[in-house]
Amino acid sequence: MRGSIAIVKKEVRTYFASPVAYVVLGVFLFLMGVIFAKFVALYQQYNMAQQFGQAQGITLDKLATYLYQNMAFILCFVTPFLTMRLFSEEKRQNTLELLLTAPLRESELVIGKFLSALTLMLIMLIVSFIYVLFMVLWGNPELKIIGSTYLGLALASACYVSLGALISAMTSSQAIAAIWTFIALLFLWLLQTLGNGISASLGPIQWGPTLVYISPLGHFNSFTEGLIHVKDIVYFVSFTLFTLFLTHRVVESNRWR
Amino acid sequence: MIEVKDLTKNYGDRLAVDNISFCVKRGEILGFLGQNGAGKSTTMKILTCFMPATSGTASVAGFDVFENPYEVKKRIGYLPENPPIYLELLVSEYLDFVANLRKIPSSNKKKKINAVIERCQLGDVRNRLIGNLSKGYRQRVGLAQALIHDPEVLILDEPTVGLDPKQVSEARGLIKSLRSERTVIYSTHILSEVAATCDRIIVIDRGKIVAQEAINSLGAAGATTKTELIVQRSAESVAQSLRSLQGVKSVHYQANGKERIVVETEPREEIMAEIAKVVVNNNAGLIQMSPVQLALEDYYLNLISGKRGVSI
Repeated sequence: MRGSIAIVKKEVRTYFASPVAYVVLGVFLFLMGVIFAKFVALYQQYNMAQQFGQAQGITLDKLATYLYQNMAFILCFVTPFLTMRLFSEEKRQNTLELLLTAPLRESELVIGKFLSALTLMLIMLIVSFIYVLFMVLWGNPELKIIGSTYLGLALASACYVSLGALISAMTSSQAIAAIWTFIALLFLWLLQTLGNGISASLGPIQWGPTLVYISPLGHFNSFTEGLIHVKDIVYFVSFTLFTLFLTHRVVESNRWR
Repeated sequence: MIEVKDLTKNYGDRLAVDNISFCVKRGEILGFLGQNGAGKSTTMKILTCFMPATSGTASVAGFDVFENPYEVKKRIGYLPENPPIYLELLVSEYLDFVANLRKIPSSNKKKKINAVIERCQLGDVRNRLIGNLSKGYRQRVGLAQALIHDPEVLILDEPTVGLDPKQVSEARGLIKSLRSERTVIYSTHILSEVAATCDRIIVIDRGKIVAQEAINSLGAAGATTKTELIVQRSAESVAQSLRSLQGVKSVHYQANGKERIVVETEPREEIMAEIAKVVVNNNAGLIQMSPVQLALEDYYLNLISGKRGVSI
């Protein structure tokens, strides 16, 4: 465990020593800012409509759901930039040799790397509390729903980061790691749409619902509606653990190849 | 301290290390000599548990590198060919990170870091970014990394490559100062370096050990002695007569201007007397007669060329 803590300390230091953390945070906040501006405009429209007695079933909570679904999607864009260097840079700089010849278990290494990227993701989530603050100051949102949404965001972040770590462990090029991580996350995201498009069942398996289940989107959406289902938590946790297990295997295999 | 037995490593079809065996005693400095690509780094990577061998065994301080890598790693300090440094960290941050990796208790950490900074003369740069340091300093940071936990065994892969002459001699001094407290394996392809620092050398060529010698017995190991003669005149006729002597292996001479003859003989003292007699009989006017120390360089090239059947 001490090894993992050492890795986390070093990684977080490295994120902030290079422009990576600032650029990622900046891009994230910019995109969220654009979406939040749209969100505020919609909310004003809704308020005006209400004044004229023609409110159309749109509420602040409904709008907050859109906001956070967009945020989960933006995190997809941001994750590759945080995870791309985790292992690939160590390989390129020959520092993997240092890590693998130190009395450090591979599991400590993988957990440390995972936690350090997750820390950055959580920092972003914390920064995004500013939108909650605005909602509370000028509206009356359901805070319990927002709480469950943030739980969903944290779980989704863990699942994104684990996938990014796995892909980073498979290459020594940051750019390749970033591109593949992005493609993989986008693909997982789109499985939902794909699955919904398949209505016929081919053979014994109902492909449509299966694909929808594999995609993180549906699992995340129930959190934004204030529903904390055990199956969704199980999905995210098992996805993360399985991917970290694969990462561990890949890191271990570096020395055999 | 270190025992390697029948170690073999294949990279796909290519045989990198071919059935080598050797051992290193506690407190010994072993020079690992060979051309680039001879298998030095591969052997070191196996000893540090970075990669497994295809077959054979290796143990460090009694722990097998395959069965008990964790114990082995704890006892080894390793400086790879390219120092494993993070360019975006400060020297002090980097050493702190390595100390944590090495699981040095935090009560002791500061002391160890300061000690290693002093030992590797990094005091001036401890608060500078490693990325801004010169090659020599980076190498020293790498060395500090290998020494920080006071390992029993140090494995250094070409530690002086890229250093300027002053730094090279400092690095050698540092390595020598470790003698007797630590066991050191030290690889290089520079011969004067092993002569200056090591107790014993292993010459490795294309994955095989071609020689294992204590450093001071190297001269004799060549099995021939060279003698240089400088005469006033008639080097040619002297050379002719020398060729007919028993025990003389080869004679080279240079007649124009400076008359110089190099005689290669069996390493027997009587032959010297014979040679002197020939020179005097020819009335060549002997100016100088001196033994040529068989240089490490020659010895090394002989070994490798003998093996390959190519004259260099």
